[in-house]
Amino acid sequence: MRSSIGSIALAAVAILAVSAAQAFDASRYPDWSGQWRRPAGVGNQWDTSKPARRGQQAPLTPEYQAIYEANLKDQAAGGQGTDPTYTCIPDGMPRAMNVIFPMEIVIQPHVTHIMIEYLSMLRRIYTDGRSWPENLEPSFMGYSIGQWRDEDGDGRYDALAIETRNLKGPRSFDASGIPLHEDNQTVVKERIYLDKANPDILHDEVTTIDHALTRPWTVIKNYHRVRNPVWVEAICAEGNQHVRIGAESYMLSADGYLMPAKKGQAPPDLRYFNQSRK
Amino acid sequence: MICPRSIAAVALATIFLTAAAWAHDETKYPDWSGQWLRAGGIQWDPTKPIGRGQQAPLTPEYQAIFEASLADQAAGGPGNDARYSCFPVGMPRLMSVIFPMEFIFSPRITYILFENNMPRRIYTDGRTWPNDPEPTFAGYSIGQWIDADGDGRYDALEVETRHMKGPRTLEGSGLPLHKDNQTMVKERIFLDKTNPDILHDEITTIDHALTRPWTVTKKFRRERNPTWFENDCSEDNHHVAIGKENYFLSADGYLMPAKRGQAPPDLKYFNRSKY
Repeated sequence: MRSSIGSIALAAVAILAVSAAQAFDASRYPDWSGQWRRPAGVGNQWDTSKPARRGQQAPLTPEYQAIYEANLKDQAAGGQGTDPTYTCIPDGMPRAMNVIFPMEIVIQPHVTHIMIEYLSMLRRIYTDGRSWPENLEPSFMGYSIGQWRDEDGDGRYDALAIETRNLKGPRSFDASGIPLHEDNQTVVKERIYLDKANPDILHDEVTTIDHALTRPWTVIKNYHRVRNPVWVEAICAEGNQHVRIGAESYMLSADGYLMPAKKGQAPPDLRYFNQSRK
Repeated sequence: MICPRSIAAVALATIFLTAAAWAHDETKYPDWSGQWLRAGGIQWDPTKPIGRGQQAPLTPEYQAIFEASLADQAAGGPGNDARYSCFPVGMPRLMSVIFPMEFIFSPRITYILFENNMPRRIYTDGRTWPNDPEPTFAGYSIGQWIDADGDGRYDALEVETRHMKGPRTLEGSGLPLHKDNQTMVKERIFLDKTNPDILHDEITTIDHALTRPWTVTKKFRRERNPTWFENDCSEDNHHVAIGKENYFLSADGYLMPAKRGQAPPDLKYFNRSKY
């Protein structure tokens, strides 16, 4: 009799294992549901523990420090410098993890999706054990492969380790224009995990390896959870007052006219218009 | 005396119930995994030609607006179609799926992800309509999973979408929706009965620009091993909106007219005496 009970129990375990393979066993994964926001009062700089711009002390190579300085000068004059996002292109990685607008993380067996409420900034992080694809078209968000880790051995995953490659530009770390190398060989390594004391705080330890930097640059981002969120659309193109014509950036006035963004800026060349008609 | 077999059976049942409670029971949901690509053109009703060929049931007022849009487009302008300045297409036009889409099911939300628009969240948790939500291009969607054939598995997702904002059109020809933005969209999304790699979306649009609810059925085909791309409208967008005028950027980076004889922008805010 005991052996038949044992057989049934064994069968139950086997069935459970099959069932777990079929269905997504959410109990193994951390609860990262809801909406994640950067903390109140935190600016949009890359390293949130330091002041913006030069205060970031970005470990730039001399060549890229010079590019950054020229960018700051251009921004001080009213230009956009090396921040390309005024034309509503995506922030790309790693800047997307500044989470200027809120983010949602949806965990699935083979993919974790990170949706950021801005443009179409969607990250797919493949956790199915795949290797890097060959000759994939680069993108602003890059290609991300992740691995779930049970760091404390309690049978539940605590952290998602991610590596992101295959990026394209132009990208910068933040709105101050801290540059990434134009070769776009950036590699981003992340470790995302819940705060041990407060499950409504999420951390992202982000290390950027890039030829514009003298060493890997690690910062830690923090996000606060809203458990019953309201989602709104942040549409960059809606109300964007920036206009790029050729290499120049201009502004639109409130009354709908083109205007200079910098003092003394020349108007656009209108050579393709038949001005004799006007 | 309780039979040991019964104890084992109860244990087995308990294990099953626990397993079901733990996990999002994927077995109840249809398999809509992979990448879905449109099976037809970019027009709203895929069974009819774009533009006037759609025979859209527009009110006379909105038929006139549509005709003016067509005339403007024929002259090189954008007409009613705001997509040229990279505004989201909004609902229901999102479901024309110009670039591929993906579904994700969670117990309370079904997400539809697009390559060049923000995601749709379809709430399937039994909630009621929120009071005064901020309108969005994609709108607020509440859905219900339906087990139409009673086999214990869901066959279809019924969705109602409200609280949209504009400007929106039904297709690139500028087929207009009413500027009051009171559009209501009802959908029924389901797999083809004979081909599980075909998905249908029966879409009914109720809008004050229309004389009656307008139903079309969209068809999508599945790619099971997809490659995803980014499609960023603003990257390499050669349209430039200045005031109410739309211009183009030439290949060599100069502003140029979009229409024959179009006046250049007024440069009154520039100090032209210097140049």
